[in-house]
Amino acid sequence: MYEYLNNIVGNEVITYFVVAALPLFLVVLPFALIAVLAERKVSAHMQDRLGPMRVGYHGILQTVADILKLIQKEDIIIPQADKKLFNLAPFLVFIGSYAVFAALPFSSKFIGTNAEVGIFYILAVSGFVVAGILMGGWASDNKYSLLGAMRSAAQIVSYEIPTAIVVLTLVMITGTLNLGTMSEQQTAYFWNWNILGGAGEGIQQILLIPFMVVAFTILFISTLAEVNRTPFDIPEAESELVAGFHTEYSGMKFAMFFLAEYANMFAVSAIIVSLLFGGYQSPFGYLGNTLGIPALIPFEQLFWFLSKGVFFVFVQMWLRWTLPRLRVDQLMTVCWKYLIPYAVFNLLIVGIITLI
Amino acid sequence: MNLYDIIFYLFAAITIVSAFIVVNAKNIVYAAFSLLFTFFGVSGLYVLLGADFIAIVQVMVYIGGILVLLLFGVMLTHKITSVDIKAGSVQTIPAVIIIGIFAALLIGLMYSTHWAVNPAEIPVTTTKSLGKTLVTEYVLIFELLGILLLVAMIGAATIARRDGDK
Amino acid sequence: MKEYLKNTWEGIWTVLVGMKVTLKHLFVPSVTIQYPDVKLPLPERARNRLYVNMDDCIGCDQCARACPVDCIEIETVKALPTDDLGVTSNGKKKALWVTKFDIDIAKCCYCGLCTYPCPTECIYMTDVYEFSEYKREDLIYNFSVLTPQEAEEKKKNYEKFMAEKAAAKAKAAAAKAAQAKTDNPNNSDKK
Ligand code: SF4
Ligand code: SF4
Repeated sequence: MYEYLNNIVGNEVITYFVVAALPLFLVVLPFALIAVLAERKVSAHMQDRLGPMRVGYHGILQTVADILKLIQKEDIIIPQADKKLFNLAPFLVFIGSYAVFAALPFSSKFIGTNAEVGIFYILAVSGFVVAGILMGGWASDNKYSLLGAMRSAAQIVSYEIPTAIVVLTLVMITGTLNLGTMSEQQTAYFWNWNILGGAGEGIQQILLIPFMVVAFTILFISTLAEVNRTPFDIPEAESELVAGFHTEYSGMKFAMFFLAEYANMFAVSAIIVSLLFGGYQSPFGYLGNTLGIPALIPFEQLFWFLSKGVFFVFVQMWLRWTLPRLRVDQLMTVCWKYLIPYAVFNLLIVGIITLI
Repeated sequence: MNLYDIIFYLFAAITIVSAFIVVNAKNIVYAAFSLLFTFFGVSGLYVLLGADFIAIVQVMVYIGGILVLLLFGVMLTHKITSVDIKAGSVQTIPAVIIIGIFAALLIGLMYSTHWAVNPAEIPVTTTKSLGKTLVTEYVLIFELLGILLLVAMIGAATIARRDGDK
Repeated sequence: MKEYLKNTWEGIWTVLVGMKVTLKHLFVPSVTIQYPDVKLPLPERARNRLYVNMDDCIGCDQCARACPVDCIEIETVKALPTDDLGVTSNGKKKALWVTKFDIDIAKCCYCGLCTYPCPTECIYMTDVYEFSEYKREDLIYNFSVLTPQEAEEKKKNYEKFMAEKAAAKAKAAAAKAAQAKTDNPNNSDKK
């Protein structure tokens, strides 16, 4: 992909920029467009409603209309706000969530950076999101925003621990930090996926399955909390904190936060997919192999990666309309008293299994 | 001056300018947030040196951990933003002397070191070899550090616990 | 320890049960009614916007008096004996020109009290409930079928008629008085 583009453009720097911008325009923006609508539709149908119906057929153009509205809106900066930090925060949050996309293996031919530190890098850059959220909440000069930012940061920092432990478990099995390599190892056909014990053979694979399911549960819960989605959305709890750290934001800056949230949703789903559900690998072999057109395979991989990611985004929405919001103390209990001990034991047992 | 040089100077500039702000900012929150950019610039420099793992650890530990803790401390402390930070200069002469000594030492070191001007080849990844050395050669130090952190954690939990709690 | 494991299990299990319920509801037909396109049938005796069938109104003012918020304003002019206003659908003879019949629907509280006393049942509730307006004045409905000029004319006519009648009466009275004088000339002088 990179060499190919380099040949077309002929300039290293421009190629870097193009490659860097590709996921934004090909994945994040269309995804956000669709996901916002899907979220509303899914939530509506789960509550036996219809959701937006008036813009376009069954409301499919609703998000476009919303974006037009957001662009037209006045960019209000409250006079008490700390202007520099207030303006910087949404960008920092967006950078933090977009930087994750650099290490996601969209297909075997397209991965932003094939750096060996892949998943570790993803865990690290979420620190920018925390800093951005704290910055926005503090600069807004609003007690609700500050409270929301505090809760959000506390939540993300706490839930990073179970996430990291589970990721460590999987790194132990696969022996690599690189998501691209990890996906490659879980070669086509779903019984090679890590959730079903990985590409190993024999007794070890079967023994691993229950612990992989535990790992998946922990990973899903903790990443859900990291992106501040219901039932872990106390940082932006509408009923108690108005909207948390982005209460004071309007117009395009609000849209940045919004976009970052949806980018995050996809990013964590993509992480789960690459770690446990075969990454870009197809569950049933490739059409390109059967038809004898190898050029088709990368596109198939892209398709599988995106659809698996979107499926987990759907599960996130599904959970959102199933569970009520947790209280702050319950949130911390779930993390420190349940997820972390389970994750540590899981790590230990998986370690023992891999040794035999 | 090729691309890597430009990127190097960019990161160096980010690091130095933001570090300067950290020291000089009147507002403690500004200082804390500038630290973010300092850490970021330093980790960028690590990447340029081919130390990818260290760079990520820098981001993870300092931005994701230390900085957030710092911000928590700043924001949760009552009226800390209205406290006057002394940014003036006192005891100029001793400071100048000490800084002069350190600067002389550093510059001397810089000139006496044999720099590998033309690095043979940037290793593709440092993660694996780093991990190996950590659990073989330096395993004792590694474990000791782990125990130290554990002790610190237990200590923190004990201090934070209210009297009478079980 | 046992409790801890039980808690964990219950937590996960109940979430799964809940997810099953929500998934089922994803495929339940929605109950939404696409309001402006589809409307629910109103109950039979729903009280909405008022309507006055002026053909039947005899201008008796009973509705205006019944209204608790005084939002009906009626002015009437007596018809001349020569005018024929026709009869209402239930056979009452109309004897008044209704020169003004205004309902300020913005004030109306839809109590329906005005509809009961009407002798001809010509003021009633319709099933129209979407009648928002941009200006408040547009919510005052004029039901009178007479144009202002006509109303003015009727008023003049009636005044003229009354004046004529008064004149005739005066004349008659004068004539009567004159006759009485001739009949009994001394009476008045003596007094
Ligand atoms: S419905 Fe009630 S308020 Fe409205 S005009 Fe009739 S009596 Fe008056
Ligand atoms: S009660 Fe009926 S007939 Fe009488 S004035 Fe009102 S609408 Fe006309």
